[in-house]
Amino acid sequence: MPAATVNRPMPRKRLSAFPFVLIAIAVFGCILPTAVNSPLLLTLLTSATINGILATAVGLLIRHSGLVSFGHAAFFGAAAYVMVLALERTGISVETVIIAAIVLPTICAFGLAFVMLRVSGVAFSMLTLAVAQACYELVMRWRELANGEDGLAVKLPNRVFGLAVGVFQRPDSMFLICWIILMIVLLGLWFLGRSHFGTLTLAIQDNEERARFIGYETTVPRAIIFALSAAVAATAGVLFSLYNGFVTPDTLHWTLSGDALIMAIIGGARSVWGPALGAVVFFFIRDAAGGYTEHWPALIGITLILVTVAMPTGLSGAFALVRTRFGGARNG
Amino acid sequence: MAETWSLEARGLTKRYGGFFALNGVSITLKRGEIRGLIGSNGAGKSTFMDVLSGRGSNLGGEVFLEGQNITPLSERARRRAGLARSFQKTNIFPELTVRQQVELAARAAEEDNSEDVLRELHLLQYADRKAADISYGDQRRVDLALALVGHPKVLLLDEPAAGLTMGESLALAHLLRDLAERWDLTVLLVEHDMEVIFSICSHITVLHLGQLLTEGTPGEVRANPEVVRAYLGSAAA
Ligand SMILES: Nc1ncnc2c1ncn2[C@@H]1O[C@H](COP(=O)(O)OP(=O)(O)OP(=O)(O)O)[C@@H](O)[C@H]1O
Ligand SMILES: [Mg+2]
Repeated sequence: MPAATVNRPMPRKRLSAFPFVLIAIAVFGCILPTAVNSPLLLTLLTSATINGILATAVGLLIRHSGLVSFGHAAFFGAAAYVMVLALERTGISVETVIIAAIVLPTICAFGLAFVMLRVSGVAFSMLTLAVAQACYELVMRWRELANGEDGLAVKLPNRVFGLAVGVFQRPDSMFLICWIILMIVLLGLWFLGRSHFGTLTLAIQDNEERARFIGYETTVPRAIIFALSAAVAATAGVLFSLYNGFVTPDTLHWTLSGDALIMAIIGGARSVWGPALGAVVFFFIRDAAGGYTEHWPALIGITLILVTVAMPTGLSGAFALVRTRFGGARNG
Repeated sequence: MAETWSLEARGLTKRYGGFFALNGVSITLKRGEIRGLIGSNGAGKSTFMDVLSGRGSNLGGEVFLEGQNITPLSERARRRAGLARSFQKTNIFPELTVRQQVELAARAAEEDNSEDVLRELHLLQYADRKAADISYGDQRRVDLALALVGHPKVLLLDEPAAGLTMGESLALAHLLRDLAERWDLTVLLVEHDMEVIFSICSHITVLHLGQLLTEGTPGEVRANPEVVRAYLGSAAA
């Protein structure tokens, strides 16, 4: 069928614009701090970016394994507490501590996956919630370890990765760092989605039995996705503790997991960049409404309902739909 | 044993609770052979495929692939050893494109002939469509492609022509015979259509109520009064 071969639609062509769009957005973000003079806005954007990384982690798990985590704060908070405790109690260099704060939750997640991935659907979500709440209770109760609900100050040295520590705590410079890290994460996940491994995990999510019958082991790839997702969440936790300089049990609380999930749903987890977009929207709604009313969560709730009813694939999904509808004969 | 069989199974058994869906069935396939497997509904044909390919639990018996005992192997390891199967109830990846899934299967087999398979099965024109978006008949061929890709040694095909028209089934049967010869495949084929079976199989195995009823050439099977009573009586034209 030579004619068919010629007429074959080429979905890959369109997708390969992604890295360039991402670089453009990254550059835009980098000039933002010089263009925006409001520290308030930059503070908001920095928090949105850090939470965007956490939401990206939640979205990664949804996209590649179909699982909804209600406990991703566990990895975020675990990283933050590794930072604070290791810096306080050991003489390890801050750079090593940062790496450990990402690697340790990742390894834990990989091990946990072999137990947690035995269940799916709501049971899995409940398990993630239970694990996260267990971590929360641990730091709340064990005062000698983590000073309970009062939290602990992060004892940072004067220089971190060769940069003055203030760089990580001023909104303008920290926004830049978080923004660039978010872009690197998104680019990495985009490559993951197009890789053989990414396709395999989609296949396993789609039809695990057939994946085994075409010759694949299916548990380890799922555990790897869970661990990768934890690594991204832990990265957000590290950035948070650097920026904030103070860590409390709130970093492990279920409301943080819930917010990250809401961001991922509003933005749409089917695309790599959806959850991060959801985080920005979330923070702007919260900021805009929070000035007028205590009840800003209600507005977030209404947004969530509107999005899930009107655009089940989130803002990013709606955007893709509009583009295929009005962008000519592109399909894929 | 002088000859090494391409596929050999001894005493295959499968229970659902107390019910024996398959009870002590043995089979030997010569290399390059296309063996027909027939029997009435519920005779245990699909169950036989399941046990050969390592699906599920409560399995008994032994399976050898080119002399190697593959009984302890998982379904995944059996596929990697060269025993591939398709499914009676279409079992594909609806969210992946046709090419993505066939390439994935080829990659596991470490032999990428996915373009050849797509071309032979007339799937090239749908290669970049999501499998969920193509017609039922095309999805059946995707299921077949997932088994066929990567040069397996033995193919277990569970009613690959189910749902196709008479003409399409015959065309598929002849394509299978052609591919089996060119790609050196041994095939165990479950098929309800006697015309298809008789036209491409040199030997036929008949199952009845989970047990082996008889085995022989199309002529012998057709002439066997037990087979006529148990199966052909209703199906033979
Ligand atoms: N999951 C199951 N639980 C209980 N019994 C089952 C199950 N699957 C199959 N059976 C029974 O096992 C027997 C053999 O079924 P099988 O599917 O192997 O038959 P078959 O020869 O493939 O039939 P068909 O021609 O309809 O495909 C049938 O009696 C069936 O009812
Ligand atoms: Mg059957």
